[in-house]
Amino acid sequence: MITDLHKLGIKFFNKSGADMPLTDFIPVFHDWIQNNRLDDLLIDVADYSHVPAGPGTMLIAHEGNYAIDETGNQRGFLYYSKHEVPGDTVAERLASVCYRNLSACKLLEEEERTRDRMSLDYGRMEIFSNDRLHGPRTDEALAAFKPQVEQFLNRLYPHTDYEIDYKNSDPRERLLAKVMIHDAADKADTLLPRTRTDSL
Amino acid sequence: MTSWKNTLSERIPTDLAEEIDAFASQIKLKKQGKVDDKLFAETRLRRGAYGQRYDNGQRHDGIETRELHFPTNATKGPDTLWDAPGMQRIKIPFGGLSTEQMEALADLAEEYSDAICHITTRQDVQLHYVHIDDTPDLMRRLAAVGITTREACGNSVRNVTACPVAGVCHDESFDITPYARAMAYFLLGHPDTQDFGRKFKVAFSGCKDKACGLTNIHDLGLIARKKVIDGKEKRGFEMFVGGGLGPVPYEARLLDEFVAEEEILPLAQAISRVFARLGEKRNRGRARLKFLVDKLGIDEFRRLVIEERKTLPHDDRWIGYLDEVRAWEETPVRKPAELTAVSNDEEFNVWRDSNTYGQRQQGYSVATIRLPLGDITSWQMRQLADVARKYCGDNIRTTVEQNIVLRWVANGDLPALYDELKHLGLAQPGAGTIFDVVSCPGTDTCKLGISSSRGLAGELHERLATRYQQFDSAIQGLHIKISGCFNSCGQHHLADLGFYGVSRKMNGATVPHFRVVLGGQWEQNGGSYGMTIGAVPSKRVPDFIDRITGKYLEERHGNETFQAFVQRIGKRELKKVVDELASVPPYALDPTYYSDWRDPREYSISDIGVGECAGEVVSRIDFDLNNAERLYFEAQLAHEEGALRKADETAFSAMIAAAGGLVRLQNPSIPDDPEQVVPEFRKRYYDTRLFFDKYAGGKFAEYLFNHHEQRNSDLTADRVRLLLEETQLFIEATHACNARLMEQADNERKSTGDKTSARDKTANAANA
Repeated sequence: MITDLHKLGIKFFNKSGADMPLTDFIPVFHDWIQNNRLDDLLIDVADYSHVPAGPGTMLIAHEGNYAIDETGNQRGFLYYSKHEVPGDTVAERLASVCYRNLSACKLLEEEERTRDRMSLDYGRMEIFSNDRLHGPRTDEALAAFKPQVEQFLNRLYPHTDYEIDYKNSDPRERLLAKVMIHDAADKADTLLPRTRTDSL
Repeated sequence: MTSWKNTLSERIPTDLAEEIDAFASQIKLKKQGKVDDKLFAETRLRRGAYGQRYDNGQRHDGIETRELHFPTNATKGPDTLWDAPGMQRIKIPFGGLSTEQMEALADLAEEYSDAICHITTRQDVQLHYVHIDDTPDLMRRLAAVGITTREACGNSVRNVTACPVAGVCHDESFDITPYARAMAYFLLGHPDTQDFGRKFKVAFSGCKDKACGLTNIHDLGLIARKKVIDGKEKRGFEMFVGGGLGPVPYEARLLDEFVAEEEILPLAQAISRVFARLGEKRNRGRARLKFLVDKLGIDEFRRLVIEERKTLPHDDRWIGYLDEVRAWEETPVRKPAELTAVSNDEEFNVWRDSNTYGQRQQGYSVATIRLPLGDITSWQMRQLADVARKYCGDNIRTTVEQNIVLRWVANGDLPALYDELKHLGLAQPGAGTIFDVVSCPGTDTCKLGISSSRGLAGELHERLATRYQQFDSAIQGLHIKISGCFNSCGQHHLADLGFYGVSRKMNGATVPHFRVVLGGQWEQNGGSYGMTIGAVPSKRVPDFIDRITGKYLEERHGNETFQAFVQRIGKRELKKVVDELASVPPYALDPTYYSDWRDPREYSISDIGVGECAGEVVSRIDFDLNNAERLYFEAQLAHEEGALRKADETAFSAMIAAAGGLVRLQNPSIPDDPEQVVPEFRKRYYDTRLFFDKYAGGKFAEYLFNHHEQRNSDLTADRVRLLLEETQLFIEATHACNARLMEQADNERKSTGDKTSARDKTANAANA
């Protein structure tokens, strides 16, 4: 049942800086751990820079994983939850996941070592279920997922139109929505309050 | 409510389903506080659910050790927090994978791990950062595709490994695949394999000369042989026992030069019984079969096994499996075809030269998918399953070199296969070359890691990618294998260029190092182990590789192999190369030496374990340890020259110098007299457990005590070699103990507000 879906992920694609070495993010993530820069319990950094089109450089947390991710040969900033996330509906949980993601993106924007070398496009994203039991890639699950995604996007971009592509030729892949907003994307700072929930 | 248990109930064999349900119940009971920590730890280990670094809730972040405040304080074993991420090891008998299994592994890595499947040096798959609560469902999803994680860890029969080209190889006596499979499932859960003091590893090889099976490093190794008996050709195996790497490597001993195929299962059962009955149980450091075989001698061990064999009640499976052996065959999905034209694609030609192997069967090849550091992403794994379906079907295997091979690929399909692999980022050339660096997880995820083996491997991978094709072919063919500690999971003993992680206290700080092991033999099933030369700072390992390979190219005689070169020039000459790179600049001049590869945290060994406070640290120990290293090196030279008594005595002196160094931290007046050092060391460092390694316990101290008690015993070259290995480990443990004490002193200083650092104190003491 999609109502039980908590393992959710959002990836914002890079606008620039896709050629920045993945290993350059390792010290940044270690600093975040040292200085408790995020709400999650940050555990360690995992380096997969040697794997083509892989999870890149990861910041492993208890609640979820953060990554400069290159899956599909498209670099972006990824966060996905591994445990229950706050929210009564999938849309609210997506907001929680998005909040965590944007909190990290904001840090990257402020980070001296990265801010002039890369930028993210918050108007191009992937939203996915990372749970093939509660959110499988079936017509039924997709029908239930769609309104939740739209509800979340209406909250994230209340005054902007967007396109969503749910198509994926490979049925084994995760339930996924590719999103592109029509207008210029907002900054992480602007988007963050829209995703904040009382329980965060 | 939807659950994997219900969803997959029709697809999971009843016995597997019951086992996993029982494990899920254990988890529930543990959460209710009704299961003892140790018992639960062994329970989960036997299901492949392993601990991971920082699972005690402590992590050094480069500044200090901090607590990881997980949501609960519940534990899943002694000093192991429930919510801390763990590693799930998945046994893949003989490395055999189907496309369906690959897809399942891809999904599990994505949903429960970090979207990476890691292939190990024993043909397993490992997933990292897995929560214990997720493991029952993970196991159910594996069971639904015919995989069990049972006995993947713990004191049990581990994954049965086998040559990845078995059945298609030119050199084999016959295909050992169905035998390896039969052995794996016969021993799995067998009542006679449930009471071991330590793990038990089995390997099969189709021939004696090639590396593939690595039988020499296994508790039980079987090499295929045929023999004519009464005019009829019989299949059987040359059977070896008591091999193993680990801190002290042992080469396997011949148990029987020909065991008929009808007898391999009962004989393995008899060996298991003898091991369970007589193997060490309390001292884990001496509990592997290799120690029992060494203690009893191979003749007595053989006698006991033969006696045990006579007492076994008959089991139909002993020969029942032979029906499956006779029926065993692999079916290609494409008709055989040859490459009809020479390709102009230079990249393809390079890949084909290094990554394909022409099968015995005309028109087919084995294609190796070279995985950097053994890693493949979920997406790649899924796509690779599709590629396999198209070109080779379920004829897929993992390898001990951390790669995947596709077997039965029609030669005519190789260009198309290459193109598809290239699209997936899986067409890297250089399989089996110096570029194909093997590494254990090391400090990335392993609790025992001392230095970053994967960090170093990643760095070498990046540097070699653009250079290795320009190397002389003699260099291209070398093997690099790296372990994060002395436990040898990276199989460094078998490499031309082997490295294992150690630490050194230098300039008042801890510096990551790798000990160099040169000239190991990968061929002949891991025929001989390399020579330990000395340690170089982690950051200088790439320079060391350049220098030693350069020296080899310049000074080799004709077509001399690297192993022969290493043997010929000897340790003294090799040590010079190590010594040229041994120095470390002061921190103020170059701080990069004080952190490890791809880990900018200031290096610390405190994540491995912290002992009790030993009070003030003085610098004489640096001299003592240096002296111990020198003596150890001289002992190695004496061994090399055949002066066994001298080697033994010098090695013991090295141990006394190291132990004396530690003793003098507390009692400066103790001379280097064994009769004073040993009891003082026992009293001050062993009885107090101050010397104890968090995971190895007092094992290394026992090497000293044993050597002290057994002096003047009969010496053989092999015996002295083992004593030298133990000496080296004891000295390493002394370095580690000293480093722990220094760090503790630093921490104490911080907590009491003392402005003088341990480093300064060391310097002051040295000046004094």
